[in-house]
Amino acid sequence: MKEEIGEGRRKLEEELRNLVGNIFVPEAKVFGMVCGCVGFAADLRGLQSDDVAVFREKIGAILEEISKSVGVEPEFVYARKLPGSEEVVTLTARELCERCKREFAGSKASPRPDIVVLKKRKQKI
Amino acid sequence: MTRLMVPHPGHFDALKEIIEVKEAEDLKEVEEVFMGGSPEVMGSGRGVLHAPLIEEIREQTEYAHQHGIKMNIAMNSTCTGGHHLTFEGYKMFEWYFGELNKAGVDGVIVAEPYLVELLRDFPMKTIVSVLSYVDAPQRAKFFEDLGADVITVDTNINRHFELLRGIVKAVNCDVRLIVNEGCLYRCPFRYFHYNLASHLSSLNQPRSPLFAPDFYFDKCINIRLRNPTQIIKSAWIRPEDIKEYEAIGIKCFKLSGRTKAVNWIIECMRSYSHRSFKGNLLEILDCPQMLRYMFYIENEKLEGSIEQWKSCKKVCNECGYCDALTKEVLTYLK
Repeated sequence: MKEEIGEGRRKLEEELRNLVGNIFVPEAKVFGMVCGCVGFAADLRGLQSDDVAVFREKIGAILEEISKSVGVEPEFVYARKLPGSEEVVTLTARELCERCKREFAGSKASPRPDIVVLKKRKQKI
Repeated sequence: MTRLMVPHPGHFDALKEIIEVKEAEDLKEVEEVFMGGSPEVMGSGRGVLHAPLIEEIREQTEYAHQHGIKMNIAMNSTCTGGHHLTFEGYKMFEWYFGELNKAGVDGVIVAEPYLVELLRDFPMKTIVSVLSYVDAPQRAKFFEDLGADVITVDTNINRHFELLRGIVKAVNCDVRLIVNEGCLYRCPFRYFHYNLASHLSSLNQPRSPLFAPDFYFDKCINIRLRNPTQIIKSAWIRPEDIKEYEAIGIKCFKLSGRTKAVNWIIECMRSYSHRSFKGNLLEILDCPQMLRYMFYIENEKLEGSIEQWKSCKKVCNECGYCDALTKEVLTYLK
């Protein structure tokens, strides 16, 4: 697992640099939440929401691949912006608990204005 | 008729979805929404997740009006660092209020008395924020005289029925209650936490990074983990108990939660519109949502507790009602 997380961080940074330019991924982690969700998240600097809009499919696919490599089923993949700005500070792939399928990922709209949804597994949510 | 104001996270799709549910389910009491304004002008009492430009506010307001919903903008920072009293600050607020008015906005929610007065120059409704801490008839009258059209009462007196009755009698403007706030009763951090939030949600940030940006929040959670009775003592109002407030002349209610997920807001809107909720009360309380993962408060078992709170003297060390109630209704989630 340790190797996969490290490799995921490196791969994400490399792919984003190829797509967008000078992107820095200081930290990547696998997490478990109190509600039951588990996920893979990468903090990053240099990415903006316009980049995410242009490369939505590709970034989503990269996240999905890394997420699977660390054992997380990527049911809900999203970018989180720094509130009130266009800076994207985290990319997350999450395997959702029943509550979050309904509450966090169940709306047609993005759950919050700082969240940009990249992929959503409709059949499971 | 009773009116319910619902939080709107800020993005247009969320507004559409909230209104879609309101219309599809004929939730008649939902008449207004509120969202944050631009952090470039002013912070607010909650974290800002979206920074709408005037054009976006105009578009969303038009959409809301097409569906018979009023749009209000929250500008309820409790501290601007004195900027509003500078000439530049005055000009900026005057300009921004003018732009909101031209955008068709129905009301502006403010905490600062100076801004309450400034809003007199505009036809939009002046809505005094819960962060003006109106907790007595005298203070309510003071804000009405400054120009308030609606006063959102300090949640600390949500269960002080004599004071609420007194406020309703003292003023002619609308009196509004926030129903689902779960803050600590008489919280010692309240003023300081909102001052901090006001700065962190604006461009007027602390000069160096905070080593404990969540200090007040963490203290708040810790207090309740150690003493869950504090959750029961909080000023929330069950959907089923709204009628008790209507009986004393309060017809305006507000849901808190504009930083929460759209579907959470919609579920709260349903519960309070239907005046009924089954399950863990913590599911519909805003702030701090985290507690719903640790405790279960069976809402049905709280039936009748409002009768105690209506006449409660709030001398907790001599009473013990909430301690006993906690043992009855609250369980720990494993």
